[in-house]
Order: sequence, then structure tokens, then C-alpha cells
Amino acid sequence: MPEWIHIIYRGVLFLILLFLMTKLLGKKQISQLSFFEYISGITIGSIAAEVIMGLDNNIWHGIIGVAIFAVIPFFVEILSLHNKKIRDVVEGKGTVLIKDGKLLEDNLKKEKYTTDEILQLLRGKDVFQVNEVEYAVLEADGKLSVLLKKDNRPLTRKDIDLPSINEKEPHTIIMDGEMIDDKLASAGKNRAWLKQELDKQNVTIENVFLGQVDSSGQLTLDLYDDKIQVPKPQEKPLLLANMKKCQADLELFALATDSEKAKRLYAANARKLQESMDVLSPHLKG
Amino acid sequence: MTIGADLKQCLATIKSIEAGLSSLAINTNAEDEQRLYHEQMMVIEEIKQDLMKRIGEVEREEEQYKGF
Repeated sequence: MPEWIHIIYRGVLFLILLFLMTKLLGKKQISQLSFFEYISGITIGSIAAEVIMGLDNNIWHGIIGVAIFAVIPFFVEILSLHNKKIRDVVEGKGTVLIKDGKLLEDNLKKEKYTTDEILQLLRGKDVFQVNEVEYAVLEADGKLSVLLKKDNRPLTRKDIDLPSINEKEPHTIIMDGEMIDDKLASAGKNRAWLKQELDKQNVTIENVFLGQVDSSGQLTLDLYDDKIQVPKPQEKPLLLANMKKCQADLELFALATDSEKAKRLYAANARKLQESMDVLSPHLKG
Repeated sequence: MTIGADLKQCLATIKSIEAGLSSLAINTNAEDEQRLYHEQMMVIEEIKQDLMKRIGEVEREEEQYKGF
């Protein structure tokens, strides 16, 4: 048999072997979170390459080598799931590098990080000044996690006392011109609803590349033909605009009328509408 | 436009707001949002009742504002 056939045969065999092994070890192996996954990743790759190209090597020796690096990490993972001590040794612990806005030089030295390197890692987190950081940990996988001081963190709804909004995830219900029934069901909609919405926007389902429905039941479409303008969902902004208009009208009526009783009635209702608008506008603006 | 027509226009808008809120309450699948829309729909309903009462009064006082 010519050598190139051997290479094809070994290549395909190891491709399947590595594929099965990665499936066995799971997503964790791909993310290479810990020391063990890092070395087993490198070693398995080298063994496979060595056996595929170096035809002098026995193929079974290669398979045994790869299997060792798959099976031992697999069992160590199971052990470390149950025991914190094993976990600390095998997966490693994070090292605190910045505390209270101050660099901990001893820990830096222990991890052999230079000032330039730690600054580089911080810049990767969009931090250019060390004193903006309250706390930073060098994780076991070598990435830096940064907690900014409260003053430097982005503003959230909670900071400015806005009412909390509990938004549910959007569902993708049309892909490549086909509706996805189980997604449609988990969005709490049915085919009739979808047909009605599509008719409203004047498109057929074959022309839709992607369609998503958000938690308030609004459908957003992306068509194959980008020249066609799809109207954005207008229901909510329109509702808010109508409320504003009505509120202004009621205030106008209150000013215009001569009857004291009617004036009070208009003013009270204008106030009610204003309150209702205040409650609703965070939801309607979104 | 006369005040009668203005009032009726405002009533129509209020009705459309009520309908809009009702359809939002049906279409959303977040429960607390559903409740919020429903509550606000009730508020709008009250405003609608007041406005309809007022329109009735105006129509009684001023014959020419009657009807649509």
C-alpha cells in the first residue's frame, strides 16, 4: 500500500477518535479552563499529529497515548466535582492581584507577572488606570477578572431608581424562510398568529430570512431582499404618543371650560393619565 | 373645531389606547408585564367613563353638538 493511503487512513481514524473524545470530555475541554485541560489539549494534539505523519510509529501506541490523556482527565474531573481539595489542586485557584485599588506586589511576583503584563491585561478590560479597580483576580485559566469601583461602573436602571423591568428572552421563530414550530410554541404563539402578523407587514414567509419575536409579542423581520423596507414595530411608540396627546388634550379642556365641576374632572383625569404614562413609559419605550 | 368634536376625538383616542393596552396584555408572555398592562387598561377605562359622562352633559347643554 502506498504511504499516502496510510496517511489518509490514519488521518480519518484520528479525526473520528478526537471528535468522540472531545464529545466525551464535553464543552469544558474546549474552553480549556484548567491546567489539566490545557495540557491534555496540547498533548492529544501532538500525539495525533505525530502518529498521522510519522508512519514508523505504531498506530495502536498512538491510540493508547491519546486514550490516557482522555481517560485520566475524565476521571479527575469526576473526582474534583465531589471534592473541593482535589479541585483546588487540579483546577487551580485564582490569585488576587488588586485589592482596594492597590496592586498586591507579592502575588504578582508569585505569578511572575510584570507590571507591563498586568497593565496589558487591565487594558484588555478597558481599564487604563489601576485606581479605577476595586478588586482583580487572576483566574486559573490565566484570564483577569476585574471589579471596578462603584463610581466607575456603568449606570444601571437601579442606580437612577427606575422601576425594574423583567424582560424575557426573544425567540427566533423564522429561519431561512421556514417557521420553527417548537420555538413558536415556546414563544406562546401559533401559526395562525404568525400568518396574521406576516399579512399585516405584507410579506410571505418565503421572503423572510430571519424573524424574531420579543417578550411583548412584537415581530421583527429581516427579509432576503434588503431593498424592501420592513416597517419597524410601531405599536408601542404609537400607544405612548397617543397617551401624550390625550393627556395634553385633557389639560387643554380643563383650561378652556368655564364650568368648575368639568374643570376638576378634566384635571383629575389628566393627572391619572400622566401617572399611567409614567408607569408605562419604561415598557413602551423599549 | 368645536369643543364637542374635540371631546369626541379625545374619546376615540382613549378608546384606541385602551385597545392597544389590551392587545399588549394578551400578546406579552411576561406575567408581571401582563398584569401592569391590564391595570393601566383599567385606569384608562375609568378615564373613558368620565369622558363619556362629560360628553353626555355637553350634548344635553348644547343641542348642536349631538351625534357624530
